[in-house]
Amino acid sequence: MNLFIRTKKRLSRFLSAFLKKRQSRIGIYGPPNAGKTTLSNRIVRDWTGDALGPVSEIPHETRRARRKEGITISNQNGNSLTLDIVDTPGVTTKIDYQEFVEYGIEKEEAIKRAREATEGVAEAMHWLREDIDGVIYMLDATLDPFTQVNIMLVGIIESRDLPVLIVANKIDLPDAAPQRIMKAFPQHPVIAISGLEGDNMEELYEHMLKVFG
Amino acid sequence: MPHKCTQCGREFTDGSTVILKGCPSCGGKKFLYVKVQDIHKDVLEEKTIGQIAEETKQQFLEIREEKSRNGSGKEQPRPRSIEMYDRIESITVLNPGTYELNIEKLAESDELVVRMGSDDKYLVDIHSMGMSGKKKKDRSRK
Repeated sequence: MNLFIRTKKRLSRFLSAFLKKRQSRIGIYGPPNAGKTTLSNRIVRDWTGDALGPVSEIPHETRRARRKEGITISNQNGNSLTLDIVDTPGVTTKIDYQEFVEYGIEKEEAIKRAREATEGVAEAMHWLREDIDGVIYMLDATLDPFTQVNIMLVGIIESRDLPVLIVANKIDLPDAAPQRIMKAFPQHPVIAISGLEGDNMEELYEHMLKVFG
Repeated sequence: MPHKCTQCGREFTDGSTVILKGCPSCGGKKFLYVKVQDIHKDVLEEKTIGQIAEETKQQFLEIREEKSRNGSGKEQPRPRSIEMYDRIESITVLNPGTYELNIEKLAESDELVVRMGSDDKYLVDIHSMGMSGKKKKDRSRK
């Protein structure tokens, strides 16, 4: 199996070098704990059988952008699209190590985490400048979408003229209100999903083909 | 306790730093501390904030300009509250382990690699900043 994957990777690298065509790179952005890694893992698992990174209820678990290259998604009509998925650290305006201490992490480790998370956000924002071709903006549907970070970040993405798909995640929870997100961002397509349960993923893939294709 | 602008009645949460520059709605400089249970009293009982102040005998909180504060024995003027997007720094170290990030600045800056040093100084890869001269021009135009 491993040999097969390795050969496949080598072949695809050879082909992409030969064709010199870069796959579009889709960044999954959003505030911490919106479910970005859960969604990236699901997308990667659905189409390659792999996983991207560990998921945790502690915010800022993802402190470095993680990338999975060459994911081909397709629908029943035979349309397909190959892209790279980039899972980014949660974007926020303030990172405090106390937040981690509350989750029972030792002070020193918490400070280290806060530092790494800060670097991660800086890196993710920089990626947005030139390395990202499209954005899946991920929101927790149980929370109010009108936050400074969301409005600012969607504004930045719009100013870069990047195609955006807004995902209202966690619809498996009883107090999820994806309508609120649809009202907040009427200018963009909003897809309500549960990354954890895998609800409505078909619609998301369909929209990904449309928006990023 | 939350406070209210005496001119327009806008509410501010306790410890709100926004009011240090005056009320963002009307520019008013006088605020009144109001008890949480009385927060809607002015509207419900159709009173002005001034009347409520008389009733509750609370002192007004008045925002004065920097100059007048200097005379009061304190040598160092208090730093003014600056809106997030006006800040020059993309990352502000508040305390070791506590950081404030200016997302807009980070998105437009040329600094590719930022690394937080162990003493909370942050290191920037100058080489990566020199790479895209074109974009720097764009930024200065702004």
